[in-house]
Amino acid sequence: MSGVLSAAQRRDLDALTALIIPTDEDAGAREARIVDFIDRGLTSFAGDQRTLFEQGLTDLESRAQRSGGRAFADLDPAAQLALARELDAGKSEFFGAVRVATIAGFLANPEYGGNTGKVGWQLIGFEDRFGWQPPFGDYDREPSPG
Amino acid sequence: MITIVNHHPARSAARTDTQPRFAAGETVDFAIVGAGAAGGVVARELARAGFTVVVLEQGPHLQKEDFHHDELAITALSALTNDPKTQPNTFRSSESDEAQVRPVVQYGRLVGGGSVHFTGNYWRMHEIDFVERSRKGSIEGTGFTDWPITYAELEPYYSKVEWEMGVSGLAGSSPFDPPRSRPYPLPPLPVKPAGVLAERAARKLGWHAFPAPMAILSQPYRGRPPCIQCGFCKTFGCEVGAKSSTLAAMFPDAAATGRCEIRPVSYVRKIELDKRGHVTGVKYFDSGKREMFQRARAVVVCANGAETPRLLLMSRSKLFPDGLANSSGVVGKHLMFNGYAFAGGLFEHRINGYRGMVVTRVIHDLYELDPRLGIAGGGGFDFRFDWGPIGFALEGLPKEAPNWGPEYKGMLRDYYIRSVYVLAHATQLPMPNNSISLDPKLTDAWGLPAIRMTFADHPNDLKLYAYLLDRAIELLDAAGATRRWAYPLERAFPEVHLLGTCRMGNDPATSVVDRFNRTHDIPNLFLVDGSSLVTSGRGQPTMTIQALAFRAAEHAARLARRGELSKRS
Repeated sequence: MSGVLSAAQRRDLDALTALIIPTDEDAGAREARIVDFIDRGLTSFAGDQRTLFEQGLTDLESRAQRSGGRAFADLDPAAQLALARELDAGKSEFFGAVRVATIAGFLANPEYGGNTGKVGWQLIGFEDRFGWQPPFGDYDREPSPG
Repeated sequence: MITIVNHHPARSAARTDTQPRFAAGETVDFAIVGAGAAGGVVARELARAGFTVVVLEQGPHLQKEDFHHDELAITALSALTNDPKTQPNTFRSSESDEAQVRPVVQYGRLVGGGSVHFTGNYWRMHEIDFVERSRKGSIEGTGFTDWPITYAELEPYYSKVEWEMGVSGLAGSSPFDPPRSRPYPLPPLPVKPAGVLAERAARKLGWHAFPAPMAILSQPYRGRPPCIQCGFCKTFGCEVGAKSSTLAAMFPDAAATGRCEIRPVSYVRKIELDKRGHVTGVKYFDSGKREMFQRARAVVVCANGAETPRLLLMSRSKLFPDGLANSSGVVGKHLMFNGYAFAGGLFEHRINGYRGMVVTRVIHDLYELDPRLGIAGGGGFDFRFDWGPIGFALEGLPKEAPNWGPEYKGMLRDYYIRSVYVLAHATQLPMPNNSISLDPKLTDAWGLPAIRMTFADHPNDLKLYAYLLDRAIELLDAAGATRRWAYPLERAFPEVHLLGTCRMGNDPATSVVDRFNRTHDIPNLFLVDGSSLVTSGRGQPTMTIQALAFRAAEHAARLARRGELSKRS
């Protein structure tokens, strides 16, 4: 998987995407490998966002160093969350782009490098069968519920 | 510039053996600009009537095998639509504002046009849509007027659309339906959970939910297979050809005549005139951006309600300094879309809206409103689910909900398979200040002036949408939603129903085309697409655009046979 981001940038980005779609009893952005989706996207279909991501990650690194004296990925969870909220509240274009990319990668076709193992689709209940017959759900069964 | 590595088939010249290839310099009977919902009908009808036809289409000629379920490629990367990166638009809300770059116009950019990626809702207009101005009165600040034709005159062509394209539905199932001469050729598609809830809600409110008329085959029809309920209609192409696009239903017939050449990746930039003021053909860029010329005895522009006025304005000349066929000055004006109000609801049990087609039940009880409300126009509702996974996760949840973090993730888990949406489709008044014009500064990747849109909603329309939004919420309550949420009434550009910009009329001083879609100014130039519409209807304009296309093609063929294309009758 060739990308444009450094190992340190990938670690920070991975941590940030894991705040957007966290891991709980179900897989989140980390297990879906969103960082691969984004890194690969920046060399192809999202090439026009490369500068935004690179500058945003540089800024994230310096914010993390200022507030916690270490890389964003190495901050404790509360400090990471505080920084992410600060970016979101400040309407950071970078944070907005990471949010959209994380969600898009999580639910895009797996061949784009995110949604690994279709974990995104499993979370929302989407089955990629692409061909259905009635009954489609509960309300078109007989008897129909409530 | 975005390029997709794995997908996005760039096939540019998928030809069938029966298609002729007209030599450079050869004059054909008709050049058709735009291979969309209207262009496909006109091409097929004129070729079958014995005329030679070249169809020039900006986009590629994909085949059904090229269509896939790749949401990222389709929605984020404009795989089937005009790309704002190469064809930017500008927008302003009034003529005194400076227009800003904004993608405001979206259309299918491939053979088949918007009919490839549409949802397939096929509503006829009702009788009132053609005569509403004289029945209900004028409205200040608008160009609200009657059509030069009535529903009765268009009815045979509505039936023709249903039978020639392949539309599924149930005649007589809506008490508000206008008269019809024939039943639908195909029975309705199976009802989905959202449709069952629509019926339940309508019963509670004393309204009527009826099977949605859809341009999707419920049974095999004319060599095409029925819908497999893949669930990827809206914004996607149909991989089996069950969706009744002109790609599936018209162009194969046109090609089979041996008289119609479909020429993809051909971007028309100017319509040429001779000294008498008659059209001689079109100049276009081929796939290598080389300028070409196609000679024709007549030209039919079917480029859509934004590109058609743009092409006329780009074709200005000494004879027509304000734009071709624009002696009236109304080319580009009276831009309409449709109005919308949109609400979502969460239900206790599984909807699985992503399985199968988007809409199965429609409600037309508010097609005409109680006059005591003091609101002009009206609307129709459908119960739907039209989100792919990505679109849902970005736009489908209540606006007040968090959009990242643990609670957001929990909502993704709970809402995707349990949500239903009510979409109200509504009239929009034609206003002279709402327009398509040429941006004076910005150009596209071919150096042509960008589309500039000037638009603001009329106060009546905003009242109408707010009223319909309240009714949409009532419908969700009546259906038993455990939570419901409204979407803002601000327009969610880009708009896809592009209407009214070269309006039809009897008076050459106030309209661009006559009652048969022939321009008043130029006898061998026809405009056939959403630009002809005089009123917006309540929604779903493609059916009406295609009825006009069948009628216009019949008339153009009649004139051509009589040798009357170059003179006014």
